[in-house]
Amino acid sequence: MRPQLMCIVLALLSVNSAAAGALPDWSGVWQRVEGNGGIFDPATVEPSDGRAGSPGVRQYPPLTDAWEAKYTATLELVANDRVPDPISNCGTPAGFPRMLALPDVYEFIVRPETTWIITENGPNILRIYTDGRDHPPADELWPTFTGDSVGRWNDDVLEFSSVSMIGDAHTILDRSGLTLSNQASVDTKMFLTDAGLLRAELTIEDPIALKFPWHVTRHFRRMPAGTRAYDYACAENNRNPITNAGQTLTLDTDGNVIDKVIDND
Amino acid sequence: MIKFAALLLTMLTFAPIIVAHHSSAMFDKAEIRDVTATVREFQWTNPHIWIQIVLATDEGNESEWSIEGLGPNSLFRNGWRPNSFKAGDVVQIRFNPMRDGSNAGGFIGAKFADGRTIGRWD
Repeated sequence: MRPQLMCIVLALLSVNSAAAGALPDWSGVWQRVEGNGGIFDPATVEPSDGRAGSPGVRQYPPLTDAWEAKYTATLELVANDRVPDPISNCGTPAGFPRMLALPDVYEFIVRPETTWIITENGPNILRIYTDGRDHPPADELWPTFTGDSVGRWNDDVLEFSSVSMIGDAHTILDRSGLTLSNQASVDTKMFLTDAGLLRAELTIEDPIALKFPWHVTRHFRRMPAGTRAYDYACAENNRNPITNAGQTLTLDTDGNVIDKVIDND
Repeated sequence: MIKFAALLLTMLTFAPIIVAHHSSAMFDKAEIRDVTATVREFQWTNPHIWIQIVLATDEGNESEWSIEGLGPNSLFRNGWRPNSFKAGDVVQIRFNPMRDGSNAGGFIGAKFADGRTIGRWD
């Protein structure tokens, strides 16, 4: 390689390394801090130690009257174990923003042009473009599980906007049955706290489901160095199919239903 | 009838641990059963691990039960291994039974013949 060309290549590599080096260190494997069985909004859950999917446990987002009625009806189904969770069928991801409340572990891959949030459970991948692009025009968007996310770095804070999530009937926020419409949008700020936690502050707007913006905060804890993430092949041995009525069945090793009562209506 | 030692312990002591890819509402978390059983098969698979155990019945027959646990990934990070249970192991096993009385349950803990325990036992 000619010396002049070599200098140019080295200069470009140096710029790229500097840009990457300026970003915060979110390396390693992380785990959610707030548990409660995957409850999405720990700040409004009642009772405060209530687990998603347990009878009588609910959250209080600023739902419109119509969406509150919808949630109330769903909670009654939850009490009777008849709320189908879309991910239980092992065919679709949890989607955003539910993917910030999943069990198992997380990885945050930070590059100047893109940040990827990878959840082991699912798995789910959220791509956040930080190369200066905007959301696509309306005729180039269609509802998807994670939608479209673009953002920027403001010092050590990743700020991003997410739109075009597929929403109700395809995703839930947790097993209390809470949902958003496909008109929801989310503005998120993510940063490391002084305590070393990764904090995600979400502002959720939804002209159909919410009366005013809903603020949800979640945290992640870095796991010990050397911790690995693994495959999560949900369909590998799913012995818990869901009936049309939303009942979770149990199969034996030959694929026969063990349950004595089957509700398939 | 299968011989069970039903333990009425508080949920605070033995909170259910079957929370992963589906609802756990089919398990009766208010009831905890301890049985001595022989492991027929250990399925180290996603989305859940399964311990197939065989129990002796009062009639002198055998009855197979399916005991469900969390996924292998999180269990591995908590000390489990793909060979934590082996076919032929005789274990005391503790679980939340199914509400409808069918032959399955949600894993809580187990104690092996050599005194080792796994999951929540004491």
